Amino acid sequence: MMLARVADSLYWLGRYIERAEHLSRLSTVMLNATLDQTDTGAEAVRIALSAVGETDLTAGAFEAAKGLVLDRSDPNSVVSSLSRARENARQVRDQITTETWERLNLLYLKVMDRNAGREFADNSVTFLHDIIADVHLFKGAADTTMSHGESWRFMMVGMYLERAQLIASLLEACFAEDSPRVNDHLALVSLLRMGCALEPYLRVYTAEIEPRHILEFMVFDEDFPRSIRFATSQIEKHLSELARHVEATGRAAPERLAGRLKARLEFADVGELESQGAGELLTTVANECARIHQAIYETFVAYPLEMRLPA
Amino acid sequence: MAAKIQDIDDTPTLPMTGAAYLPGVAYDEMIAHGGDVRAHYAALQSRISTLGAGELADRQRMLERSFLLQGITFTVYGADSATERIIPTDLFPRILPAQEWAKIEAGLTQRLQALNMFLADIYGEQQILMDGVVPRELVLGAPSYRREMQNLYVPHKAYANVCGSDLIRGQDGEFAVLEDNLRVPSGVSYMLANRDASKRTFPGAYREAGVRPVERYPDLLLATLKSMSADWRPNPQVVVLTPGVYNSAYYEHAYLARLMGVPLVEGRDLVVHDNMVYMRTTTGLRRVDVIYRRVDDDFIDPLTFRRDSSLGAAGLFNAYRAGNVVMCNAPGTGVADDKAVYAFVPDIIRYYLGEDAILPNIETFLCREPAQLSHVLDNLDKLVVKAVGASGGYGMLVGPHASARERSEFADALKADPANYIAQPTIQLSTAPCLVDGRIEPRHVDLRPFILSGEKTVVTPGALTRVALKRGSLVVNSSQGGGSKDTWVLAEENGHNGNGAGHSAEKGTGQ
Repeated sequence: MMLARVADSLYWLGRYIERAEHLSRLSTVMLNATLDQTDTGAEAVRIALSAVGETDLTAGAFEAAKGLVLDRSDPNSVVSSLSRARENARQVRDQITTETWERLNLLYLKVMDRNAGREFADNSVTFLHDIIADVHLFKGAADTTMSHGESWRFMMVGMYLERAQLIASLLEACFAEDSPRVNDHLALVSLLRMGCALEPYLRVYTAEIEPRHILEFMVFDEDFPRSIRFATSQIEKHLSELARHVEATGRAAPERLAGRLKARLEFADVGELESQGAGELLTTVANECARIHQAIYETFVAYPLEMRLPA
Repeated sequence: MAAKIQDIDDTPTLPMTGAAYLPGVAYDEMIAHGGDVRAHYAALQSRISTLGAGELADRQRMLERSFLLQGITFTVYGADSATERIIPTDLFPRILPAQEWAKIEAGLTQRLQALNMFLADIYGEQQILMDGVVPRELVLGAPSYRREMQNLYVPHKAYANVCGSDLIRGQDGEFAVLEDNLRVPSGVSYMLANRDASKRTFPGAYREAGVRPVERYPDLLLATLKSMSADWRPNPQVVVLTPGVYNSAYYEHAYLARLMGVPLVEGRDLVVHDNMVYMRTTTGLRRVDVIYRRVDDDFIDPLTFRRDSSLGAAGLFNAYRAGNVVMCNAPGTGVADDKAVYAFVPDIIRYYLGEDAILPNIETFLCREPAQLSHVLDNLDKLVVKAVGASGGYGMLVGPHASARERSEFADALKADPANYIAQPTIQLSTAPCLVDGRIEPRHVDLRPFILSGEKTVVTPGALTRVALKRGSLVVNSSQGGGSKDTWVLAEENGHNGNGAGHSAEKGTGQ
C-alpha cells in the first residue's frame, strides 16, 4: 500500500534518472566521435540528435552536447531531468533511503553548481563520465538499500519504460525506413556505445559489426539489460507484482499490455525484420510503451474514486 | 582547579590566538563570571583547545556539507524563485548539566499539563473564565480561539500533543519561559540532525561527557499519536499531513514521516466520505485514523475554516467532530500560546494544579490594561514590544535598538490598537561559544525543548538551541538569520565526569 501520488513520483523519478544517464552517454559518444578527423563524427552527431528528436543538426558537436546536458530551458536536458528527478525524490523523501537520496542530491548539486558550465567546457568527457558513474551509484544504492517492494518497483517500471523508449528511438534514428542508412563501421560502433552495448555485443558477435546483428542484439537479446526485450520483460515482471494488490479479479490493464509486448518480442522473427525493415516493429514498441504509461496512470494514480469508495 | 580562559589563550595552536573568548555581561554557558570554565564544559573545552583553527574550520565545512547533501534545508522565498539553504549550524554543542535539566523537565511537564487542562476547560465548562482568573474576552476574542472546538471530546484531554516551548536564561543564570508553541512547532528535525552531526564532529568529547540520547523522539511521537486513538481503533493508521514541498519545514515533515514509518500525505491525497477520512493509495482508498498535521488551523478544512485553502481536505473537520479521525495537535490550541494569555500562565498553573510555576515567566505588560499601556509608552526605549498574533520575529519592536522615529511610529500603533500588544523588558539572553569566521565568539542563544503529550507527557532530554549569529543580536529566529546548534543534556551519574580538573571547583555551584 502506498499513496497514489507517491507512486506517480517514484515512477517519474525512475524515468528521469534513466533519461539523464542516456543523454549523458549520447553526449559523451558524440563528443568522442568528433575527435577523429573522419566523416563518422558528423554521422554520430546526426544519430544522437535524431534519437532525441532534435531536427536542427547544424550545431557543432560541443554546442549540441552542452545543450543536451546543461540547458536549463530545455525540459529534456540532463540538468532538467536531474532537477525533476530530485524534485520527485523530495516529494517522496519518506519512501527512499537516505543512501539513495544522497546520491541523487549530490548529482543535482553537481549539475546545478554555478561552475558546472566551466567544468563541462574544461573537460566535458570527465564531467559526463562522472555523471554516468554517479547515476550508477544511485541505482546501486537504490538496489541495495531500498526494500524491493512497491516503492522500488514503481521506480523500476519508470526506469525500464523510459529505457525501452529511448533505445527504440535510438534504433529508429538508424534503422527506420526513412532514416539514412548507417553502414560505416565507426558509426555503428558509436551507435553501440550510445546504447552502452559495445562490450556486451562483442562478447556475442565478436568484432564483426553489422546492422543486422546490432538490431538483433539491441532489440531481442534476452540477457542484455539495455535490449528492448529485456526492458519489456522487466516492466512486465514489476507490473505483475504491483498488480497483485490492485484488484482481486482479473489482470490489471498495464500488466496485460506489457505482457503482450513481451510476447511479441519473444516470438518475433529476426529474418522478417531483415526483409521488411525494423521501422514497423520499433514504432509498435514506442506506441505500446505509451499505452502502458497511460494505463499505469489510470490504474494506480488517477483512478475514479466512485469505484473505490466503501459501499 | 578548572582551566582558565587565559590558559587557552596561551596555546599557540588555538583558533582564538590574539583574541581570547571574552563573554560580555550576559550569562555565558561555558565561562563563569570569575573566568573559570564551568565543570560541565571542561571536557569539551579541553578538546577544542587541542584543535587548530584549520581543523575546526574543516570540521565546520564537513558539517555544512553533510547538511547540504542530506537536504537538511529550509526554503527561502525570493522575488521569482525559491532556493534551499541550510540553517547555519554551529559545530560546538551547548551543554546542560543534569540538575538544570531536571528542573526544566519538571517545569515544562507542569506547564503543558496545566495548558492542556486550560484548553479542555475553555473548550468545555469555561470554569476558569467564570472564576475570573483569565479575562473572558481575552480568550473568546482571540483570533486563535476556535468555537468549532467547543464541547468536542479530545482523548486524554491532550489538546497540544507536541509542544516546543522557548526558554531563555537571564543574567542570573535562571531559565524562564519566553513563549509556548502549541500550534505546529518545528525544529525537532534539527535537534536530531544536529545530534548526528555532533556525534561525528566530537565523538571523544561526546562519549566522555555522558550525554542522554534524543534518538527516541520519533518512536515516542508515534506512541503519542497512536495513544490519541487507541481507545476505539486499536491499531490506528497514522499519517503526517504536510502543506507540501514548498513549505519551509517540509524537510522536517518528510523526516518525521520517514522515521516513524508512516505516510507523508498532502491535502490532495485525502478524501472525506461519510465523515470518514481516506487516503488515495495505489490499491484504492485506505482509512486514516490519526493525522499529525503540520498545516495551520486556518488551512485544515476549506469547509470549516479558510475557504480558499487547498492544503487541507474538505470535510476533515466534520470527520474529526464525528470522532472518526484524530487531529494532532487539536485545532484551536493556539489560544493557549497567545502572547496575551501567556501573561496568565502562572495563574493558570496555580488554578488547575495548585502549584507555583517551576519555570518563571518573563515579566509581561498587557497593553490592553490602560495603566500598563502608559507604563509601556513611557519606557519604550527599555522594552520589547510584540504583536499578540505575530510570530517568527515579525511585528516586534526592540526598544533599546530602535531609533526614536521607529519608537514613535510604534507608539502610534500601540495607541491605535493596544489590545494587540504586549511588552517585556529586554533580556540579555545567555551566550554560548560559537565558531564565527574562524574564531570562537560568544553568541546569544535560546533553548527549545520538545514536549510530547498524549496518554503520558514526556520531555525529550535534548533541545534545539537557536543562535543569534550576528554579534550582539538577540534575534534567534531562523527566518531572521538565526542558526542552531546541538544541545547535550548530561546524564545524572556523568554530570561531573568530564574532566577531573573541573570537578571540585564547580561542585558547589548550582545546588
